[in-house]
Amino acid sequence: MFTTGSKLFLGATALSIVSAIVFGASVGGSAGMLGTIGLISVSVVFAFLAGINLFTRDGNLAATESDVERNAAAAQAGVGRSMWPLAAALGAGGLVVGTISKPVVFKVSFIVLLAAAAEWMVQGFSERVSADSKYNEGIRKRLLHPLEFPLLASVGAAVFIYSFSRIMLNIDKDAGRWVFMVIGAIITAVGFVFAAKRGMGKSTVAGIITVGALALVGVGIASAVSGQHPIEPHPAATAAVCLGTASEVQIEEVDAKASQSVAAKSNPLANVYLTSDEQLYALNTGIGNVQYHEITVPRSNAVHVLFHNDSAEPRRLTVHLGTFKAKDGSEGSEEAECTTALEKGGTAFLSFKINKSQLASSTPYRLTVPGVEDQEIKLLVP
Amino acid sequence: MDRSKETVSTLGRMPSTRRHWSRAALLTSVGLMLAGCANNAPQDIFEPKGENSKKIDTLQRPVFYIAGVVALIVIGVVGYAMWKFKDRGQDIPEQTHGNPKLEIALTILPAIILAGISVPTVITVFQLDKKTDAECIINVTGQQWWWEYDYATGQCGDVKIDKPIVTAGELVIPEKTNVLLRITSRDVIHSYWIPALNGKRDAVPGRLHTLRMQADQPGIYTGQCTEFCGLSHSRMRQAAVALTAGDFQKWVDNQMKDYVAPEAGSLAAEGEAVFTANCSKCHQINDLKNADGSPVLSEPDLYVVPGVAPNLSHLMNRTAFAGWTFDLLTDECRVKLWNAKPADFGAMYLKGITPECFEQVALRDWLRNPPGMKPMFVDPNNLSSTGGKYRGMPNLNLKPDQIDQLIAYLLGRN
Repeated sequence: MFTTGSKLFLGATALSIVSAIVFGASVGGSAGMLGTIGLISVSVVFAFLAGINLFTRDGNLAATESDVERNAAAAQAGVGRSMWPLAAALGAGGLVVGTISKPVVFKVSFIVLLAAAAEWMVQGFSERVSADSKYNEGIRKRLLHPLEFPLLASVGAAVFIYSFSRIMLNIDKDAGRWVFMVIGAIITAVGFVFAAKRGMGKSTVAGIITVGALALVGVGIASAVSGQHPIEPHPAATAAVCLGTASEVQIEEVDAKASQSVAAKSNPLANVYLTSDEQLYALNTGIGNVQYHEITVPRSNAVHVLFHNDSAEPRRLTVHLGTFKAKDGSEGSEEAECTTALEKGGTAFLSFKINKSQLASSTPYRLTVPGVEDQEIKLLVP
Repeated sequence: MDRSKETVSTLGRMPSTRRHWSRAALLTSVGLMLAGCANNAPQDIFEPKGENSKKIDTLQRPVFYIAGVVALIVIGVVGYAMWKFKDRGQDIPEQTHGNPKLEIALTILPAIILAGISVPTVITVFQLDKKTDAECIINVTGQQWWWEYDYATGQCGDVKIDKPIVTAGELVIPEKTNVLLRITSRDVIHSYWIPALNGKRDAVPGRLHTLRMQADQPGIYTGQCTEFCGLSHSRMRQAAVALTAGDFQKWVDNQMKDYVAPEAGSLAAEGEAVFTANCSKCHQINDLKNADGSPVLSEPDLYVVPGVAPNLSHLMNRTAFAGWTFDLLTDECRVKLWNAKPADFGAMYLKGITPECFEQVALRDWLRNPPGMKPMFVDPNNLSSTGGKYRGMPNLNLKPDQIDQLIAYLLGRN
């Protein structure tokens, strides 16, 4: 009369009723009251479940109803486990968080949501294509692999590159050289071994590569957590330094520590020379050996001049960029930029830009070398 | 298509439908080829008019002929093989793999041809890149969507330039003179090209590229920007005008002459006031003064992305405006100038835009609504990406009488 399932729930009902009586009798106060109510509620739920099991006969079908058994939903191959609902939920959650936090969270969540929706949809479709689960899986692969493989490869490459970049940011430039050399040597050696031992199993090769990749990602994570190695900021060559009004200490610091790693990919507008007898002149790019003491500079344009110091003294080239009135009408101070001080034979690029006509400035645009008197090259800005 | 109607005229000949298609393809090909022919093509690269472009021509013609012959041989052999070995139901011939002698020959022969071509190519490249023998240097700066020229002080051929000259659209050079253009850009990448005088050179922000320019005789040589640079790329044109040394001297003298104010009380004088109040924020007219005698200084760096606008001091000495797109000359005068004999060209050009040759319509339309004539990035409600600065000239909402006054004023800027 009683089915197996109903016996279980009937027993649980009886146990919870007994528990409620014992608990109510032994524990007083509000805690006892609440516990008793809770246990009685549990017994009601168990009784309800026992009733359902009795009514449905535990969901068992009679042996004579074999067709129904074959065609019943429970008899069909179960759908595969899916992580896409979870991914979609994460995406949706991230979408909400992203709207009030950072745009990047919103964008990433949106992509996750889209990907999860697509995967979930295709999985749902493919699992119902036929009764053959292998065929269904093949359909899913045919639809999604063209998307999944490039995407996963991109993500993999990004993780790889990002990990490597974290490592390189974490170590200083001297260590960087060694890391590059060692990693390069290891990759070459491993490649050589792979090439030499043709009989090596696929799983061995895959294992070695996986270990290498995991090591890289692991060290990358550790480097990211450790942070970037300290970068000492280069002191700026301020107008005071360029015009020689800054303190000796400031000037020396600029000359000693300023960035001097400028790559010149452009033709200079002119080459500016300070001769051994401290004469200043310019050679205009395009004209052979005519010495200029004024050069025309296009307005609002990035201009590069290449300074050559042939003087015995360390010298810098300074460009005087004019003096303009402030917004309140007061006279401003002269603006200037300069190279670092160059030893004899040194060269340096000086890049600058002049936006205003000469008439707008109360002081002339010109190139000078602080410490060298009566020598200048006028800059004509039409 | 109803294939049953397809007929075969005679055995072995093409079906009539396929023959019709073949004829159509042949006619289309011939039509396309003939479309390249024109007797009035000022930007024809096969008509060099200067030393540098002739060097390119001398190089490219034999290369073109060799490549043409090779192409004909390849097409012929492929065509023959297709016809000869067409599938007619015959047995598949014996399959072979590899023919070392043939493969070596087919590797060495192209290598010899390429090596032969590379010698004059490299020589020409170095000749065209030479930048130490210039007799005149001119800075050329591209910006959306026009070219600015400023002439460095010093010698330019036989002519001395005492103070910087800034102009736009039209590059004026002395004939038979090695001019070196120093090309750059203030915003995006452009490319400078006057086909009759030399090849192309990219104008890249922050970088200075050089391009040699030389014209054999006086005349006007046109070109256009050849690097896509935004909305009005197709309307970024330019011209080089070559003058004799004497005429170039006159042109330089004219560029350096003092500002001539319009007669007090005239329509042009009213135009000067309109210009000062509106246009001079971006456009410079040299030596223009305010009522108090102070110089009128344009500050285009505050209003437009590239930080400059065309200098209009001598607008009426140019034949076109707004990126050398719209004529300042009437059709009749333009045709006369363009077809002038070299000996007469300079005198005609130096006249500038005379009242009888002045094409007012385009300039009036421009002053009325510049973005209506040339697409530009000037919607005042959509400038957040540029920090409120325009790319091009906005509509100043000038009134008709202000336009009349400006036209009268600008007509005197020669």
